[in-house]
Amino acid sequence: MRVPFVILLSAAAALGQTATVRIVGSANKFLSTLDQTERQRVLFAFDDQAQRKRWSNLPVQMAPRAGLSMKELNEVQRSAAMALVAATLSPRGFEKVQQIMDGDEVNKVESRNNPMFGKDLYFISILGTPSEKDPWMLQFGGHHLAINVTIAGEHGVLTPTLTGAQPALFTQNGKTVRPLGGESDKAIALLNALDENQRKQAIIGSRMADLVLGPGQDGKTIQPEGLKASAMTEKQRAMLVDLMSEWSGIVHESAAAARLAELKAGINETWFAWSGPTTVAPGRNITAYYRIQGPNVVIEYAPQQLGGDPSLHVHTMYRDPTNDYGRKYTGK
Amino acid sequence: MTMNAAAGAAVVLLLMGIPASAHRLDEYLQAALISVDSGRVEAQIRLIPGVAVFPAVMAGIDTDGDGAISEGEQSAYAERVVRDLSLTIDGIRLRPRLVSMMFPGIEDMRTGLGEIQLTVTADLPRNGGPRRLVFENRHQSRIGAYLVNCLAPSDSNIAITAQKRNYSQSFYELDYVQAGAAVWRPGAEAWFVFAAVLLFSRLILLWRKRVQSAPPHGRNARSACATATPKESALFVAVELQRCIRTPLCRMRFQRGTIRKPNRSGAN
Repeated sequence: MRVPFVILLSAAAALGQTATVRIVGSANKFLSTLDQTERQRVLFAFDDQAQRKRWSNLPVQMAPRAGLSMKELNEVQRSAAMALVAATLSPRGFEKVQQIMDGDEVNKVESRNNPMFGKDLYFISILGTPSEKDPWMLQFGGHHLAINVTIAGEHGVLTPTLTGAQPALFTQNGKTVRPLGGESDKAIALLNALDENQRKQAIIGSRMADLVLGPGQDGKTIQPEGLKASAMTEKQRAMLVDLMSEWSGIVHESAAAARLAELKAGINETWFAWSGPTTVAPGRNITAYYRIQGPNVVIEYAPQQLGGDPSLHVHTMYRDPTNDYGRKYTGK
Repeated sequence: MTMNAAAGAAVVLLLMGIPASAHRLDEYLQAALISVDSGRVEAQIRLIPGVAVFPAVMAGIDTDGDGAISEGEQSAYAERVVRDLSLTIDGIRLRPRLVSMMFPGIEDMRTGLGEIQLTVTADLPRNGGPRRLVFENRHQSRIGAYLVNCLAPSDSNIAITAQKRNYSQSFYELDYVQAGAAVWRPGAEAWFVFAAVLLFSRLILLWRKRVQSAPPHGRNARSACATATPKESALFVAVELQRCIRTPLCRMRFQRGTIRKPNRSGAN
C-alpha cells in the first residue's frame, strides 16, 4: 500500500500539479466513491465549530468522533480515503500516521482484541467543499491521532494536530517501529548539546502530569519558559529547528517548507523547556516532558504515566496560536 | 504512581471492563491556568478524577449519597475547592471568589473523562511596580496531580518576569512587573488615609479660628457655625475650600470673614 502512494505523489509532482490541485482531486475522488448518505455523514460546513473541535487523544468509544470510520468503508472507499490523507501529508507524515494506527492495532491484539482499539477506528471528515481557492478542511483521527489540515488556496495549515503512540515502540515484520522516535531522539540530542548553564535554564524542576494545551484548549497562549533560542549557538538553533520539523514536516512538502520558514523566522523568540529524566536507554523513548514555544508555535511532548512505562505511551501536541485551523487565511 | 497503586488501579479498571492504558488512574488531575491583568487575577481550573480515585472524589461531592450531584452539592464542592486554594500578592492574602462552575456527567467522571471546570477570581491593587503572586492548591493533596501555568498577559502593562513551582506544582510563584501605575507598597493606603484625616482636621480648626475672629459684620458665618452640626460644618469647609482653591479672590474674602454659610432653605 505505501509504495504506490509515494509513486503516485511523485508522478503527480512530476506532472507539475500544485499540492492543492492534487489534494482537491484526491478529495473529489474519495467523495465520488460514497453514496448520498455517506456523503452527508462525511461532509460538514467549514465553520461547523463543534466538528472542528471534535478531536481527542482518547479512543473513539470514549470521545466519539463524527464522519466515517475506516470500518464503515469498503476496500475502494478506504483506499480512496487513505489516498486523500497521503496526498495531504508528506511521505514521512503519512508513514507516521500509519505507524500510529499500526500501534493501535498492536494495542488491540495485546488487549485480547479489545474493541476500543484498532486500525478500523479512525474517522475521516471534510469541512467545507474541496476547492482550489476557497478554504476547506480535512480531519483524520482516532486514538492518539488528530490530523487537522486546513487548505486555503496554496496554504496548507496543520495546526492543531495531535500525535501520540501506544505502544510507542513495537515490532512489525521483524523491524522495530517507533512512530514518534524522531521526536524523542532529536530532543535528547538537543538537551545533550546544551552546556551546563543552558541546561539549568532549560530544565524545569517540576513534574508535568499532562499536556497543558491538549484537546479542548484552543485559543490559549501560555507564558513561555525555559531556555530562549537566542541564547543558543547556531548549531543548537539548527537542532531545535530540526526537532520542530518532526511536526511541521507532517504536512505536504510545499506547505511544510513555508511553515519551516516561519519557524526559522521566529527562532530567536522560541523557547525550549524540559521536565523529567535527562537520560534515555538506547533505542528507547525519553520519559521526560518537553515544550517548544515561539511566536507562532507551541509543541508539547508528554509521556503518560497511564498503564505502565511512560516511554511506551506518548502524547504530543502541535499548535500555532496565531493560526490554528488556518484562521489567519480564512478569518474563521 | 507506585507499582502497587498502579496494579490496584488496573484491577479496578478490569472489573469495570475498561482498558487501563487509556485512562488516568489513581490521580486527581488539577490543571490551573492563571491570568493577570492590572486589577484582577483569574484562575481557570480543570479537575479530572482518575478512574481509581473517582469513588473518593464522588463521595466528597455527593454528600447526601443519593448517587446524583445536585446544584447545591456542586456549589458546596466548588466552594470547598476555593477554600483549599491560597492566593497572595506581595505576601498579602487575597480573597478568591468563585465566578463560574461546570460539572460533567457522573458517567464521564466514572470513566476518567469528566472534567469539572471552575473559574476563580480575586481583585488586585491597581498600583504598579514589581509584584509576586503566589498560588497554592491544597485540594485533595493525597491524590492530587497538579499543573499550573500562566496565560500570556493580554494587558500590555503586565510583563511576566519569572515562574517558579515546587516539584508537584501545588505551589506556584509568579513574578511580574506592572507598568503605567505608581509603585504600591503594603500599608501605603493606610498612611494615605491617616494623612488625609490630619489635613482635614487642621482645615476645620483653621476655619473656626477665622470665623471667631471675624468683625461684627461678618458674624453671620460665626453664629451659623455655632449652631451647625459637625457634619454640616465639615461639608461647609469642604465646599468653601474647593471654591477658594479655584479663585484667589474668594480666598481673600474668606480670610476677611465675609463669606456666609448657606441657610437650610438654600438662600444666602
